[in-house]
Amino acid sequence: MNFKFCVNIYVLFTTMLVFGQENLHQVNTIPPELLEKSNAVIRLNEVTYNMESVQKMHVQGKRIITILNAHGDKHIDAFMHYDGNIKIKDLKVLVYDAHGNLIDKIKESDFKDVSAVSGGTLYSDSRVKYLSHTAINYPYTIEFIYDFTDENTAFIRSFVPVNDFLVSVEKSSYTVNYPRDITIKTKEKNFDDFNLEKEEVEGIIHFEVKNIKAFKDEAYSPEFFDMAPMVLVTSTEFQLEGVQTKVETWNDFGNWMYHDLIKDTHDLSEATKAKIKALVKDEPNDYSKAKKIYEYVQNKTRYIGVQVGIGGWKPFNASEVDALGYGDCKGLTNYTLALLQAAGIKSNYTVVYAKASQRSFENDFVSMQGNHVILNIPMENEDVWLECTSQKLPFGFIGDFTDDRDVLVISPEGAEIKHTKKYTVEDNLQTIKANYVVSNEGAIDVNIHVVSEGIQYDDKYMLETETERDLDKAYKERWGYINRISIDEMHIENNKTDVQFIENIHFQAGNYAKKIGDRMLLTLNTVNRNTHIPDRYRNRIWPLKVKRGFKDVDEIEIKWPAEYKIEAMPKAITIENKFGSYKTAIETIDENTLIYKREFIIKDGAFPKEDYDAFRNFHKEVSKQDNAKVALIKTNL
Amino acid sequence: MRISVILLTLLVSITTFAQDYDFGKVSKEELEETVNPIDSSASAAYLYKFRKTYFQYVKEKGFQVVTEVHERIKIYNQEGFEYATKTVNLYKNGNDKEDLKNIKAYTYNLVDGEVEKEKLDKKAIFKLEQSKYRDQEKFTLPNIKNGCIVEYKYRVDSPYISNIDDYIFQEEIPIKKLEAEFEAPEYFVYKQNVRGYLPITPIKETRNDKITFTNMVRSSGGMSATTSSFQSQDVNFVKNRSSYNLSNIPALKEEAYVNNINNYRSSVKYELSYTKYPDSPMDYYSTTWEAVVKNIYENPSFGSELDKKGYYEDDIDALIGSISDPVQRAYLIFNFVKTRMKWNSYHSYYTNEGVKRAYKDQVGNVAEINLMLTSMLRHAGLRAYPVLVSTRNNGVPLFPTREGYNYVVSCVRFPEGDMLLDATNKYAMPNVLPEKALNWQGRIISEHGGSELIDLYPKKKSLNSVFMMVNLHEDGNLEGAYRSIKTNHNALAFRDKYIDYNKEEYLEKLENKYDGMEVSEYEVKDPLDLSKPITESYKFVKESQADIIGDKMYFSPLFFLRASENPFKLEERAYPVDFSYPQVTKFRIQIDLPEGYKVESIPESGAFKMPDNLGVFKYNLSVQDNKVQLMVNSDINESIITPAYYAALKAYFSQLVEKQGEQIVLSRI
Repeated sequence: MNFKFCVNIYVLFTTMLVFGQENLHQVNTIPPELLEKSNAVIRLNEVTYNMESVQKMHVQGKRIITILNAHGDKHIDAFMHYDGNIKIKDLKVLVYDAHGNLIDKIKESDFKDVSAVSGGTLYSDSRVKYLSHTAINYPYTIEFIYDFTDENTAFIRSFVPVNDFLVSVEKSSYTVNYPRDITIKTKEKNFDDFNLEKEEVEGIIHFEVKNIKAFKDEAYSPEFFDMAPMVLVTSTEFQLEGVQTKVETWNDFGNWMYHDLIKDTHDLSEATKAKIKALVKDEPNDYSKAKKIYEYVQNKTRYIGVQVGIGGWKPFNASEVDALGYGDCKGLTNYTLALLQAAGIKSNYTVVYAKASQRSFENDFVSMQGNHVILNIPMENEDVWLECTSQKLPFGFIGDFTDDRDVLVISPEGAEIKHTKKYTVEDNLQTIKANYVVSNEGAIDVNIHVVSEGIQYDDKYMLETETERDLDKAYKERWGYINRISIDEMHIENNKTDVQFIENIHFQAGNYAKKIGDRMLLTLNTVNRNTHIPDRYRNRIWPLKVKRGFKDVDEIEIKWPAEYKIEAMPKAITIENKFGSYKTAIETIDENTLIYKREFIIKDGAFPKEDYDAFRNFHKEVSKQDNAKVALIKTNL
Repeated sequence: MRISVILLTLLVSITTFAQDYDFGKVSKEELEETVNPIDSSASAAYLYKFRKTYFQYVKEKGFQVVTEVHERIKIYNQEGFEYATKTVNLYKNGNDKEDLKNIKAYTYNLVDGEVEKEKLDKKAIFKLEQSKYRDQEKFTLPNIKNGCIVEYKYRVDSPYISNIDDYIFQEEIPIKKLEAEFEAPEYFVYKQNVRGYLPITPIKETRNDKITFTNMVRSSGGMSATTSSFQSQDVNFVKNRSSYNLSNIPALKEEAYVNNINNYRSSVKYELSYTKYPDSPMDYYSTTWEAVVKNIYENPSFGSELDKKGYYEDDIDALIGSISDPVQRAYLIFNFVKTRMKWNSYHSYYTNEGVKRAYKDQVGNVAEINLMLTSMLRHAGLRAYPVLVSTRNNGVPLFPTREGYNYVVSCVRFPEGDMLLDATNKYAMPNVLPEKALNWQGRIISEHGGSELIDLYPKKKSLNSVFMMVNLHEDGNLEGAYRSIKTNHNALAFRDKYIDYNKEEYLEKLENKYDGMEVSEYEVKDPLDLSKPITESYKFVKESQADIIGDKMYFSPLFFLRASENPFKLEERAYPVDFSYPQVTKFRIQIDLPEGYKVESIPESGAFKMPDNLGVFKYNLSVQDNKVQLMVNSDINESIITPAYYAALKAYFSQLVEKQGEQIVLSRI
């Protein structure tokens, strides 16, 4: 007991004596609020960008992170990507135990060094050095020190102190030193609830934040980028793969991209041009011509990523894609653009953040943004957007990968921010018409016809190419709540012209209606039960965001054996609220037939966090009503 | 007569096939085919798959392994486009490396009735460094369209005579015609290990060959100039060849609950058994299990690592000095190693840094940790032995091979029985190996280097026993207390998911697993005390647990605990179902019914089982006053269930889902 006391005193004493960052290696100096809901704590993240010139920047950084548990291991993040433009001057890691004792040192040569080629890419010249570390005990602390120069100055990393969920930040600081001939621009985002310390004098910009609690991931929350505090940083003058430029407006940016990266890649042979002209000569208008060309591209090409040097930003030549029949998003988009051009149709190369999360371009901050390229065709009524890497999507359909967000459209005249197609509640329609017959034993024999549109089309069109065995499995999973299901007919039609996915299915299921003595319990909704209930949170933190709405309309005719009569029947339901609506109706046709109608709408929209429970309850109620049962009772005829 | 018939058939088949499968001789008929004749669901198919591996003598380097590959693939639709990209892995170690050469590749399309071919551009061949020991070369063919054919050939020169890539005879797409050949000089003797369900028998033959060595001979004659002359010398030897000729091989299809699909993929592995150079003794690699074990045992990274003691002696002596009970000693040492050592995620039965260094750093691979453990147990006077294991990912070792195993655990033999130990997982217990190591049988190695098989699947069932006391309210809401007891593998799985993680997150996941059920007073008793089962308890409130229709209430007495879906969805199955370990699930539920209601009907009590007692389900329900008592037991008695029982298994689960869904009916008084 006494001994233990001594140890405590000793620890306390040494802590007080230690100056500077040394105490960041000990776990007991972490402010308690940073341990809440956190798997790791960034003790210090210090990075300095020294812009030596437009041609070169020198980056120095130190990142001390305490990993609290096994889930935190993935946040070590001690890695460095490099290519021909990046020279690593220093790279090392120091490992400390919970008491701050140094237990391991890892030199640059002990980092794993491998090609950094992600899935879907055939080749890229990017490489990565990374640390593979085994924790002996939790918690432990990693100090990662790096120093490198980069001749691509287009990508100054922004100041993003929180970059993942469940990681808190004790201190994060960021400095840019720059010469007179460079202008640095910044934009602060999401600092309402966080204090940003900043210092700006000529030639130096410095930001700092302290004590940010861990973010928690919650369902139906806004995009991370719209919640996390960050300062976007860019330099007006920069160099990319040896080419220098200066951009102040989106127009400058567009001009640079168009003239330096895109313009001279539209080469096509006369033969190809002639072929395209012949292909569309009988088409009545630009829309149908463009459709024909898009389908031609879909049949001719496939997605293969190859990125070498400037090829990370500059598309393959159209002639090259024409010859090879493959390309990455830039190459395929640009190829389509060139073919449209040959047919006299103007279209624009468009940069976008692709992902279902609908991240928009920062409208008022001119900088390198986005991770994907699509094509924009200005049309009289409505712009057409094309995803050129897909061989399957219908003309003009982009789905949830790039819908409803601000993107940068680049044209010979410059660039402008436009908004991509939004799929509305009415667009995302699923209509079901079904009928089933219940046997004396409670088995059902079901015919179902489903038509899906909009995002609901997007969710299902992949089924078209499933093998019969996997399709059978997919339906058994969709209707997993029906035991003893056996499917004997599956007809699928992918109507690309009207963007409708049509499914006709016939199946049987034994013991569907539960027989209990003289009664038979029958769940009316057989084929479209809402089984999704959003997760419950003890304390919801983020506002509610429903990114896409939808509408389901079902009509089911149900017949049962003559000797059974209705004993009790669920009531018709109407629920309407700001999140959507739910309506059911039951029409009795005769003594042994009824028609069950259901309409379920979820609207897209943004709501305060206080609404989350109500939103969740709405789903719960729908789920409950979808299980409503008719009680049938045997009568002596 | 017979011979001539065979010869004739052979001749005929050569003329019909040899022509077709020459490189570049892609026919119009092949291009016109739109659907695979043997499997209409195939997105692509190998029309021809050829591989020949043989030895070539290279001056100064000695024998090199040469592999020639020629593949012709029909692509029916977009799902098959991935077959237009070929990836070849190449191994290297210092200056020794495998070389990919002579790539020739074409795409064939039918354009206006004519065969159009396009060559692969050399610029489109990319080399990637995957690690210090592995490079990768990749290429993708141009102009891939539905219906096209890609064809390529290449050769790989390798210095690794003891590491011949497996011959893969079954792929995820069908193979129309497969030819393969392996040829080795008499100096290298390989064992051939066949895996999978296809009947594969090679044609074996021998051929003669020779190597001509040319030596420069110098002769000097006193004061006169030195003269050189060349002498050549022939070395004659015999080559052993085996060849395979297969056609219409069906595609290999994934199924759920298969421990590793590659166990069922048809393939042949050539493993070097021994080398025998002229005038030198045989050098064994492996042939029999004895040879394999001896080979592994004699490797300095195994046997001698096991013998090292100095680095731990003091610590272990201090640990067990006052204890004489052997079982207690085993427990103490096992816990000591688990506490001290952290596994670095590497699998191997050979040590990497060595046990001594690992002990000092407190980090090691599987061999370092479990050989150290074995050595310490021996030091404590216990009969401890290393056990070679193949992890589930590594497949089942059917033949004596070194590569067949990739993992090692420890076994202590007590008069009462064996105790299997794996100290790489903190929460593993004696005879509860981590799931990845539960793969049929391991091989236990005695002090003398002998070995025998040892069953790895647990004999003891893992239990999950749930006790629940609930109040069902009039509005269909349920309120109650839950308690569960988990043993063995169920306890290990729980500890793996629970202990090192954020508790609040865990709780939220638990709540949301049951659609946002409200949980309070959550408690896990002594999760770190491995001598006890895991006891988890909480109180809960769960809405809408009964249907109220008219004046009746309907509900399943298992409520949210019932299995609502049959996990087995495929109509047929080719491979065994692997449950990892035998298990028992028990539910004891006591329900207080709402006032003002009486029981109108209840599900019948009863039991059913799978053939041969593989699975047993029991359901026992009784009502007394306003209380319902339910006891449900379901046992899976074997770790592995063969496909012959699949229909029975599926039916059993279907019946289980149905029985658990059966309802109690209450009516208002």
